[in-house]
Amino acid sequence: MEKNKIVELSSKERPLLLDCGKSLGPVKIAYTTYGNLNEQKSNAILICHALTGDQYVASQHPITKKEGWWSNVVGPDKSIDTNKFFVICPNIIGGCMGSTGPKEIDPLTQKEFGLNFPVITISDMVKAQKLLIDYLSIEKLFCVTGGSMGGMLVLEWLSKFPEYVHSAIPIATSVNHSAQNIALNELARQSIMADPNWQSGNYYKTDNQPTKGLSVARMAAHISYLSKESLHQKFGRNLQDKNELDYSFKADFQIESYLRHQGISFVDRFDANSYLYITRAMDYFDITANSNGSLIEAFKDTKSKVLCISFTSDWLYPTSENKKIVKTLNALGIDVSFLEIETENGHDSFLLDEPEFFDALNGFISSTWREL
Amino acid sequence: MSLINKKKEFEIISDVITSKSNIIDIGCSDGSLIEYLKLNNNVVARGMEIDQSKIRICLSKGISVVEGDADTDLFDYPDNLFDYSILTYTLQATKNPKVVLEQLVRIAGKAIVSFPNFGYWSIAMSLFFNREMPVNSTLDYSWYETPNLHFCTINDFINLCEGLNIKIEKKADLRKLVFKEFKGKSLYDSYFSESGLFLISKK
Repeated sequence: MEKNKIVELSSKERPLLLDCGKSLGPVKIAYTTYGNLNEQKSNAILICHALTGDQYVASQHPITKKEGWWSNVVGPDKSIDTNKFFVICPNIIGGCMGSTGPKEIDPLTQKEFGLNFPVITISDMVKAQKLLIDYLSIEKLFCVTGGSMGGMLVLEWLSKFPEYVHSAIPIATSVNHSAQNIALNELARQSIMADPNWQSGNYYKTDNQPTKGLSVARMAAHISYLSKESLHQKFGRNLQDKNELDYSFKADFQIESYLRHQGISFVDRFDANSYLYITRAMDYFDITANSNGSLIEAFKDTKSKVLCISFTSDWLYPTSENKKIVKTLNALGIDVSFLEIETENGHDSFLLDEPEFFDALNGFISSTWREL
Repeated sequence: MSLINKKKEFEIISDVITSKSNIIDIGCSDGSLIEYLKLNNNVVARGMEIDQSKIRICLSKGISVVEGDADTDLFDYPDNLFDYSILTYTLQATKNPKVVLEQLVRIAGKAIVSFPNFGYWSIAMSLFFNREMPVNSTLDYSWYETPNLHFCTINDFINLCEGLNIKIEKKADLRKLVFKEFKGKSLYDSYFSESGLFLISKK
């Protein structure tokens, strides 16, 4: 039932104009679809993935062989019911799972882009997604949803292409990155660039890959996805496969072993340069960039029905950040709902088994579909 | 909080609301009043609720609802965004009823407010004769577990509105189940109305 495709959507002659002033063409988008588009083309749901997500939202990942990152939300009879809806999940540009990004071949040089890839923004990613939606001849998406960076893309859709969005569910996200968010991303970037194997981004054809740097970047980021409470509950100060301290720098504690594993397994499926470009796009993101800092102005043309969701223990994109969106949409008289799910699972909650979260998604999507 | 004749209260509120108006129900619970008003008054409505399970029920009914607290989250709305703000049986549970009332008439042209009347004869009797905090159908919690913080009587409410420069436009007659023009305090109501239901606006 799922279909994986790659399409070329802009050309050298008609390139995608980027915020940085450069242009990109041709642009390849790798995407996965589930379910069938109905005759009226009214049942399409666009899912925007997070920083390290990809188009394999509900299907087996080709590299890790694990199930899709939102398999518990997307599927037959799930909250996003693929029996009813045509689900589209594209890999963002700048990504590394088939869409145009730093590890793809630059048509100009016939070599990997590397750092010759232009610095892209969240807005550029959405402009590329819009090309895909046009290509699929969909004039109105029934729903656009995503968490974390995916939520930023949802906000960008609401702001830039309001008439294309019937309803939207931004989850655990923010209207811009705080100094703390930028700091954490900078830590990740510096750890990649400090790895001698990174070689100024020209590592693709060499025997040395910046796996150490990327792995440390992932470890640091992973801490920010969890809460102090959930780390404590899962690992406490427990030792890994031993009863006594080792008096060395081996992974004595379970949390160390866990983080190392997270880091090492990540490098098999992710490109270090992509990590640099995507985190940069997140740091640059500010929905008010073209509205003189006004949130009201940024969403003034939005007519969609919106559900915002945050999680109590998320300190990366806390409830207060999500409430800024709610407050703005309220002030504009937009049909907005808001729910803060109580959980100890931190920012990662939107990817985990959270029955109340699933229930809220299901309730909103089903009732909005009934009223269409 | 249980309501006496919930359905009757819905009817009275529905009668006083102009059709197709834009309303917000604060403390909307499972959204049943909003559903009633959507059906009978064709209103554009949304709710605010503090209880997550109720919020999820609202979402599944297609009712837009924001998780929030009357005490802190009404400030988020601009002036006169709504035609009506509705607060049924919640005022007594707010931390600062005075501020909440001011916000209700700020965000909407008119506000509909109901609350249990602590001056009701049986409540007064319970206190006077039994020397026990009253528990009845409108006040269905024991003193040690009640969420209610600020009990008031109908006359207290009228006094507060006067002090806040809030105009009481109408008062519901709960025997005849209609809103009537407000003509000042009534001795009868202060004793024999189990609850107060008012239509108020900014002066």
